[in-house]
Formats: sequence, C-alpha cells, structure tokens
Amino acid sequence: MTQDVTIYIDGRRIVAPGGQLLIETARSNGIMIPGLCYHKKITPTGACRLCVCKIKGMNGFVASCTVPVTQGMEVTAYDDELEDMRRFLLDYLLSEHNEEFDGSYDDEFRQLKIQYNLEEKANRKFPSIWKQLNYPADKSSPILSYDASKCIKCFRCIKACDEVQGKNVLSFASRGITSYITAGFDNWKESECDGCGECIQLCPTGAIVETLHRDKIDLEKTDRKVISTCPYCGVGCQIAMLVQEGRIVRVNGAEGLPPNDGRLCVKGRFGYDFVHSHERLTTPLIKRNGKFEPASWEEALELISSKFSSIKHEHGSQALAGYSSAKCTNEDNYLFQKFVRLVFGNNNVDYCTRLCHASTVVAMLRSIGDGAGSNSIEDYVLADCILVTGNNMIDTHPVTATFVKQGKKRGAKLVVIDPKWTPMVKYADIWLQPRLGTDVALLNGMINVIIERGLIDMEFIENRVEGGIESFNQLREITKKYTPEYTEELTSVTASQMMRAAILFARSKRSMVATGMGMSQQVTGTNNVFTLINMLLITGHLGKPGSGINPPRGQNNVQGASDVGTSPLTYPGYIPVGNDDNRRRVAEIWNVPYEALSGKPGLTTVEIMKAAHSGEIKGMYIMGENPMITDPNLNHTEEAIKKLEFLVVQDIFHTETTPFADVILPAASFAEKDGTFVNSDRRVLRVRKAVESPGDARQDWKIILDIANRMGVNLGNYENESDIFDEIALAAPMMAGISHDRIEQRGIQWPCPDKDHPGTPTLFLDRFNTPSGRARLNPVEHIPQKEKADLDFPYILNSGRILYQYHSSTMSRKNNALNEFANEAYVLMHPSDAEKNGLHEGLKVRLTSRRGKLETNLRLSEEVAPGELFMPFHYGESAVNRLTSDELDPHSKIAPFKLSACRVEAVVAV
Amino acid sequence: MADEFRVVLKNCGKINPGSIDDYIGAGGYQAFRKALKMEPEDVIDELIESGLRGRGGAGFSTGLKKRFTSQACLRCENRYVICNADEGEPGTWKDRIIMENDPHMYLEGLLIAAWSIRATKGYVYIRGEYFKAIDLTEKALADMRMKGFLGEDILGSGFSFDIEIRKGAGSYLCGEELTLLESLEGKRGYPRIKPPYPAEKGLWNSPTLINNVETFGCFPAIISKGSGWYRSTGTEKSPGTKIFTISGPVRKPGFYEVEMGTTLRSLIYDFAGGMIAGKEFRAAILGGAAGTFIDESMLDCETGFDKLREKGATLGSGAIIVMDKEMQVWEMLNSILRFFEHESCGKCVPCRVGSRQLLLIMQQIKRSENSSRLKEELLEQAMVMEKTSLCPLGQSHILPIRSALRYFYDDL
Repeated sequence: MTQDVTIYIDGRRIVAPGGQLLIETARSNGIMIPGLCYHKKITPTGACRLCVCKIKGMNGFVASCTVPVTQGMEVTAYDDELEDMRRFLLDYLLSEHNEEFDGSYDDEFRQLKIQYNLEEKANRKFPSIWKQLNYPADKSSPILSYDASKCIKCFRCIKACDEVQGKNVLSFASRGITSYITAGFDNWKESECDGCGECIQLCPTGAIVETLHRDKIDLEKTDRKVISTCPYCGVGCQIAMLVQEGRIVRVNGAEGLPPNDGRLCVKGRFGYDFVHSHERLTTPLIKRNGKFEPASWEEALELISSKFSSIKHEHGSQALAGYSSAKCTNEDNYLFQKFVRLVFGNNNVDYCTRLCHASTVVAMLRSIGDGAGSNSIEDYVLADCILVTGNNMIDTHPVTATFVKQGKKRGAKLVVIDPKWTPMVKYADIWLQPRLGTDVALLNGMINVIIERGLIDMEFIENRVEGGIESFNQLREITKKYTPEYTEELTSVTASQMMRAAILFARSKRSMVATGMGMSQQVTGTNNVFTLINMLLITGHLGKPGSGINPPRGQNNVQGASDVGTSPLTYPGYIPVGNDDNRRRVAEIWNVPYEALSGKPGLTTVEIMKAAHSGEIKGMYIMGENPMITDPNLNHTEEAIKKLEFLVVQDIFHTETTPFADVILPAASFAEKDGTFVNSDRRVLRVRKAVESPGDARQDWKIILDIANRMGVNLGNYENESDIFDEIALAAPMMAGISHDRIEQRGIQWPCPDKDHPGTPTLFLDRFNTPSGRARLNPVEHIPQKEKADLDFPYILNSGRILYQYHSSTMSRKNNALNEFANEAYVLMHPSDAEKNGLHEGLKVRLTSRRGKLETNLRLSEEVAPGELFMPFHYGESAVNRLTSDELDPHSKIAPFKLSACRVEAVVAV
Repeated sequence: MADEFRVVLKNCGKINPGSIDDYIGAGGYQAFRKALKMEPEDVIDELIESGLRGRGGAGFSTGLKKRFTSQACLRCENRYVICNADEGEPGTWKDRIIMENDPHMYLEGLLIAAWSIRATKGYVYIRGEYFKAIDLTEKALADMRMKGFLGEDILGSGFSFDIEIRKGAGSYLCGEELTLLESLEGKRGYPRIKPPYPAEKGLWNSPTLINNVETFGCFPAIISKGSGWYRSTGTEKSPGTKIFTISGPVRKPGFYEVEMGTTLRSLIYDFAGGMIAGKEFRAAILGGAAGTFIDESMLDCETGFDKLREKGATLGSGAIIVMDKEMQVWEMLNSILRFFEHESCGKCVPCRVGSRQLLLIMQQIKRSENSSRLKEELLEQAMVMEKTSLCPLGQSHILPIRSALRYFYDDL
C-alpha cells in the first residue's frame, strides 16, 4: 500500500495517496485542472500540455498528468500566467481544428473553448489553418467514422485500443501537424478493428464517433442515461444507455464501475437495436388452424391455464415441464422455478446451463463445493500464469479477455489449450492443440509431468485436500501411464510443448484458469473439469487471489438463473431437492405445505425433450429459450416438440421454436425491466428499465404470476422486483445479505451471508465449500470417444461462437451493425482437406452426420486442424445442431456439441 | 597558425579504421584493460574528476550521469549503455568522422562505461544514412568479439557484455535520448515523459546510460592519462577538447579538434582559413538548427559550455555554420523553422501547432513593411513553446529566433 502524502494546491492542504498523479489528486478534490489527453484508464501522455502547473522546486512548468504527488509538494494550479498559457494552447489547438458540432457527442474541447472565452473568433490570436492541412476522413467502418479535422491527436483512442482493450489497431499516420489516426493500413473496415468502440468512448472531441443513430442524437434532447447490465455474455458489463424520445440511441460503458470499468465489446456497444426492432412480439398469439392469430392477454392466459390444468389433471403433474432462461433476470427465473415446483407440481425445470457449463458446475461442486468462478475478473491481471482452455474468450467474453491481455502485459505467461486456433493464440506463450475429445489425456499428461518433476504443493495437498497424501497417491497411480510420449500419442500435442506448459503452470506463483465450452460440451465434460481441478489442487493454485478456476459464463444470467434455483436438482442456493429437510425449509419460506413440493428430482433439458419424444411430457412452458437451435440432435428435438400436446413460448421475438408453439406470449426485453443479473464472477448486478415495452409486451415475472393465479396458485404478493429479490435472499443463503438497495451503486459478489458482509471476491481462501471443508481429487482416465470418424463420416466437427453473433442470434441478428460484421453461416475446413476432396473456398457444401444434414458455405482456414471442422452455431438456416449428438455426459447430462463425425460434399457436383 | 589538439581523433588518418590490430598497435584497448583492473566505482570517480561534459550538446557532467545510472537500481537484472550515434543536427558531422576514421576509439569508451556501471548490454544507435560508419562499426564489433573484448567473460575478468547496432530511420527527433529509447524498443519515435530519466528507467525500464559518440571517444584518454591530465586541457569549466565542424564560405571547411577555450575567431580564421576571397563575414550559427546566431561581436568569445551560454549563445554539437554578407538571415531562420516543422513529431500541441504558426509569421514578416509587432509575436510564441513543449525539439525554436532577433533584428 502506498502511504498518504500531504500536498498543497494553491494553498489548499490535500491528503492523497502517494504516487497518485497530480492531476488525479487535483480533480478528485474538485480542482478541475483542464486537460484533454489525460484519461484515468490510460498511461499519461503529456501531449496537450493544458494541465501544466508550477511546482515549487521544479524548473518551469510541469504537466500535472505526468507528475506523481510527493510529500509536501507545493503546487500552483491557477495563476494568470498559467491560465494565459492554457488559453494560448487552446487557441493553438483551435487553429488546426474543425469546429463543426452536431450536438450528438460530448465534446470536452468545446467545453474548454467556452470556459476560456475562445468562442468568439475576435478573442483568438491565431489564424485558422485546418483547411490547408487536407485532413482525411475514414468512413469505411460499419460502426464509426473518423474525421482527422476534429482530431486533437491526444492519443486517447490509440491507448484505448492498445492499453485498455489490448488490440493495438490504431496508430498515427504522417508526422507533425498533418498526422492523423489510422486503423491498420489506412482503412478502418479492412483493419483488425473488431468494433468494440473503446476509442469512441475515450475520444474527447468528435473525431471518432459512432455512426449508429448519429443523425438522430441530440444530446440536448436526450431524456436520461440509464445504468444497467449488458444483455449479452456473462461478463456483466455495466452499460450506460442514452435514451432519447423513449428509445435507446447509444450505449457506452459505465466508467468507474466493476467489472468492466467502462469497457465494452462490439455487441455490448452496438447490439441494442433489437430492443426497438419492428420484429418484436407485441401481442399474444394463439395458433388457430395452424396459423397464429393475435389475441388478448385475457384470452391467451385463459387458454394456457386451462390447457396446463387439463394436462395435469389427465396425465399427472409429471407430464409438464418448463425451460427457463439465462436471458431473464434472477427475479423472473426465481418465479419461474417457483411456478414449476408449485403450479406444475414437479421439478422439471431447467435451462440452457445444461447445454453449456453443466459439466463444469457438477465437477466443481463435487471437487470444491461451488460451481461458480472462484475469483474476480480483475485477478487475471494479478496472475503469473493464465491458462485459457477450451475458451475462445476474445470472441465469447471479449471484456474478460481484456483483463487477460492486461495480465499478459503485466508479465504473466499465457497458455492456450484449444483444438482450434483462436485469437487468444496471438497473445499466447504456448498453444497446445490437442485432437478434439482428448482433454483428459492431455491434462493427465500435464499432471504426470508435474508429479514427476516434483512440482506439487505438498503442504496444500496435506492441509486442503481430503485424504491428503493418500488421495494424491491415487491420482499419481492413475496418471502414471500418461507419460509425455503416451500423451502425445493420444492427443497429438508435442511432448516438449506439453511439458513446458505443465512446468510453467505449476511453477508460477499464481496460476489462473479460464475454462470454457471446449472443455464442458463433451460426453466427458465433467471428467475434463475434474482433471483440470486435479491439476489445480496438486499445485495449490486454488483459494488465493490470482489463482483459481473460472468458467466465464456464456449468457448474461446463466450464473444467476442457477443461483436462484432454476434447476431440476436444486432449490435456490444449490440446495438439493431430494432431501426432506430442504423441502421443509423451502416449503416454510414459500408458506406452502411440505407436500406441495415434489421430492423427486426433475428432468434436465435434454431429458425433458426425450420424455416429450416418448410421450411422458405433454405440455411445456418455454420462457426465453430457443431449443430448436440450441438443443443437440435437432431432428430428434423437432420430433419431440411436435409431439407435445401444448406448448407455450414466451419471448421477445419469433424464434426457430415459436412455430411449434400453441401460444406465443410477448415479453419485455432487458431494457424494459428492473431486476438483477449475476455475472461470471458472482457479482449480483442491477438491471434497470430504460424504455417502455412495445405494444402489449409484458414483464416475464408478471406473466408467470398471472398464469399461476389463473391455475389457482398465488406465488406471492410482490409489489416489485425488489420484493422478489428479498425472497431470493431468504431462500438462497449465499445471497442472504444482498438486496436491491445495497447494489444500487455497484454489485456485490456472493457469498454475502448478511447485510454487513462486503461480499466475497475470492472463494475458498480458508476452506472449500464441501462438508469437510477440504477439496476432493477425482482422478479419471481418458475414455476414447464413442463418436468416431470413419470412412462414411471422415471429419470431426466442432461448433462454437463468434464475436458478432450471439447464442441463437435471436437478439444479435436484429442489429444491422453486428450483421455488417458477420451474417453468414459457414463451415471451416483445413485447406489440405479441401484440396484432397477438390473443394474450394466459398463453395456451397452439404454436411451430413449420423443424425442429420445441413447446407452451408465452405471457408478454408488453418484455424482448424486437418481432419477437423468448425461451425458457428448461431445461424438458423444452417443449424449445426441438426448434426450434433444427444449422447449425454453421465454426470451432468450435457451433450457433446463439440464433437460430431461428419462428411462434407459439394451441393452441386464440382 | 595554431595546431589542432587531437585526443579523440588522435588516430584519425593514421591508422586503418577497419583494422583492430592497427588500433591496438596505436595503444588501443590499454585504457579498457586498465579500467578492468580498477573498481567500477573508481572508474566513475575518475570520470567525475576529469570534469568531462557530454559532447552531444547539453553539456551535462558525464561522470555524474554514470554514477546515477550505476546507483539507480542495484537489484535490476538489466542495465544498458547506449551510444547515441544518430547525428542529425544540421551542420554537424563530428561523430561520422570518429566512426569512419577510428571506430574502436568510441567503442573502447563504450566498453569502459559498460564496465563502470556493470552494464549487461550495449547498443549503438546509428543514423541510417551513415553507411560507412555502420559498416566500420559492424566490422569493429566482430573484431572485438574475436579478440575477446566482447562476449562472455571478457579478457578473463568475469565481465560479460556485448554491443548491437541499431539503425535510425531518418528522424531528427530520434536523436533526442528519450525518443531514441522508444525507437530502440521498436516503437514509433515519440518523446517520453521525463522524469523518469534514463539513468533510473531507460531502455525497457532499466537503468540506462546514454552518451554521444564523441563523449565515449574521450574516455580512453581520460582513463589512460588520468583525470588530472584531462583537467589540465581545455578550460576550467569545460575541460578537454571539442571537435568543431565548420561549414560555409570559408577557405578550409571541415572538422577541427581543438582545446575548449579556443575562440570562435581562431576557429574560423585560423583553422578554417577565414572567409573565401570576396566574401565578408556576416553571421555564424553555432550548434546547428537547435543553435544560435552570432555576429562579428561574438567572435572573440572563448568556446566552452558556460562562456557561450552567458552571452546567450550555445556550443551545442560543435557545428559552426558561417554566413557571408550575401546570405540572408531571414532565409536561414526560415529554413531552420521549416526543418523543425518537418521534424516535429506532432505529439504535443505547442510544438505541433507552433512549428506551423511560426512559419506563417515568417511569411508575414517577409511581406510586411513594419514587422516589429510580428517579430514580437514570433518571439512570444517561441517562448510559450519553450515553456510548454514536451521535449527539447519544441523548446529549441526559441534559440535561433531569439539570437537572430538579438543580432539581426533589422535584417529580418
């Protein structure tokens, strides 16, 4: 910790942390020294010189953005000479500046111009020269434009791109007064710019401005700025939505708030237009004679309650099931699971987590007692070694990736394990590229090396692992045969590379793991994560800041939906349903008789579809999910859905699933709701209403309550979302201390057991959340995959996500800005495979697996290994899950989205 | 006629610059051998004692710079010595002369410096157009490795050190030491914020000693002959010799190494042979573009860092550009300001915009009947630039402007 120092600014005594930059000290004490190149998120530049001060004992003027405060420093921030100098410099800047202003952005320079009385040309000394300088403009980017005549060359965009986002796309072209910002080789569209817009956010003038709604925005007319949580991935970025005339017209990152401190990605910043899409559902729809017809809420709700009631009456309570949604708030999800348990009378409630991190959660729960990320996002900056495995983070969790890149910049070593090249490989010290489906073998091989080299943390094993040395010996026995040579044979990863990675991971003082779908979406998903945790435990890399296991969650509220009990197996707070005491406890909180709760664990996502297929499930209530894209083996899913007697889909758009519904209910989007999401590092974050819902669309929780009421069950008397959260806090012990008013300013990380608890940034500091308080090693063997390539299906297909689309693309594809970056389905194939088969780039191809087929466009890329393919799963027209298998991981019931044997043929003979 | 006093250039023209044996035959590397037997601290003491001041232009005490570097961070893994051979000051070619005629002289100096601060790696940052200097330095480094003066365990001393060449790419600003560091790190040549100074956090954040070629070239003689001897040459405040490069309409333009304290008149009229027939002395520019104009009245001033500074002039790099009566001071000043505008990197506002605005005023002055207000304006803007610019480039415009106005107000 730095010591506080006392300094004097214009005679005022100020206590500040030693080493803080003088400008920061001054400004945080209300002394607003002007400055345009300084921004607290980036390193000082010292370019604009406006913040010059005088410091006793130093010669001449000193730029206050470049001087750390020291004890006793005596500063003159304002006197006539300094102010003259600042006016002089502003006047200089104005001479090279195009002052056109359309009122659509904050212009810090313009404000200073007014402050220093330089608006009038008569008050200026220097002739305007900007027109002679022939400044260029770049309007090629789909999301922004750059106008060099409005650029003050402050470096903020360059540093935003490099230091904040770790992308380093921007630089100056030319020199001196004619210099201007350039992206890549002077064309923004063709550069590596991925559209995060950090440069826009940090630009102090209007040189870099987003094009989206630029023609409409008038800052003087905007109603308000609403801080909320981003609706895309699970980073939980805090966003500031600018609302004008009832519509969101701009989104910025909310500066100064964790977890993102103002950073966003292209989806978070430019993916909000879906809210106001004309394709939004605005009225309930009832299918009559095979066609959807608008209906009143009254009609729709009546039909739903009578159908659900009659199915329950005729086929028993087990004949109904619900899919809840990771896109909805905790409050929505909590009421949804309460609805299924009390109204349907069973535990058949699940959601997409089953399809993404279920295996991770199961492995973590069994090994260490909590299924959520053990650390905070900031910890990536602390770590000495970062292992990113099966996680295409730069595309899927772009803002988390910025922390990883900063860690790397700070000096951490980065190891990437992925069968497919990902952009993170560019930053990696070591990239291990195992064959698809060989993760257990690879990690056992690494464990073997760590043990052989004596790089284990014996003290940790003895004190923090159940069974201590004995358990360790079992692991040692099992991993003995995974010698580097044998591991290479199984995985195709070079022994020496694997050994380097293992040694680096074990030897580093703090090692952090980010594990993604590549690990979890396999038949061996749980085993994969067991092995990963084994490696962490024997090296002692758990339960410390900067050390731990973190599965970045794919959707905005996957974490929260699980936390609040949207699970067939657990009540809110991960309390198992199969236990009588637990049933009693929940019944008491809900004020219902114990018998009202079913003691029988419910069916999971894919099991529900299988039960629908076999006729056991007759009716379903789907809130905000799109199984006709996201479930594995879609042909089977389609058959199952068609067999349902009655299906209700509640969503904000028509989806691939809605055609199969009997009733479609229009719901409110995130921007029309109050409530909370929980992000990947367990931060409970506020969601705030910014705009009104279109048409008759309603909030999910209110719809749920209404259906329940009509079916004769009062789920509770809630005035608002805050009341619902108070009940969640009662039911889920790890959120006991959290309430809406406590997280008004910033989120709190659970566990937070009481009102005075500050939340928990790092889990397992003293004990693991198991009954014994110790972690468990779960040694497992590599199991060869059942799904194998053969002569008929010679390729192994991997699936995943890309940066510009999201999940089943229900939301993301409604944004032109995102579609301009990527809007076409494709399959990636290694060029050598294409050559062998006489296929070429851009060809229309048919992919066939043992379960189904689809058509898509062929792209050739060395990002995939020979013999392997990759497809993004977002696109309904080429839904990759027509090909995937629904063989399930026995522990977690997750499906192997990452591994399907396929063949590829040209649609038209070549 | 006076004779030169050659210390740094003592072998110039006498030995084959491509032969390390020639250099050794002329007593080369004896100073380094002697230094190796001394404690590093004692080497630094010797240099401080000698009173040697940096020959790059600023004139800071070389020994003190070394002491700061050596004491900056005792635990640091790396410590660098850099030779600034990016000679770019107009009218200056002294470093080229050293490198092309006796490359081992400055490299031996660099080695002595490396030993004294326990440096781990050295770089010579050479102006990219200096092809011959680069070739000869490359050859010299290879020969030094062969002879065991570079590499692991140099001459059995346990001291390991090597030197690499980096080429500049034509930016004047990259000769500024902090910008040079950026360039060496592979970044674009923008000046760094000071402090920290290179002695504390230089190349890749490690303690770094940067000296000019000529400065390093002085080290062997100081170590061989002792600081006492060195102090006995030159003047009290500016001991030693200085290489001057004299250009313009003089009879014998060229380079001359003389003792500090030699008057400008002696340099121009004795060494350079005076004005060529029919030309009359009007002015001289001392120190290049970032230098000062003088007129006849200054010619009897002794050279040396402080003596000249007292009179508002600069020694700078040692360039003396002589102008005759037919040459216009306005043209010369305008040319210098155009040079600055071209070389301004554009990072800080005062230099970026000021460089251009000053040129506009120069145009107005040329057209104007009564330009006194404009001249005041010229001076005022240059003064603000001096006070607020980030690096020495923007702080330099004032030097030629103020001196030109002082001596040639009416000619402008």
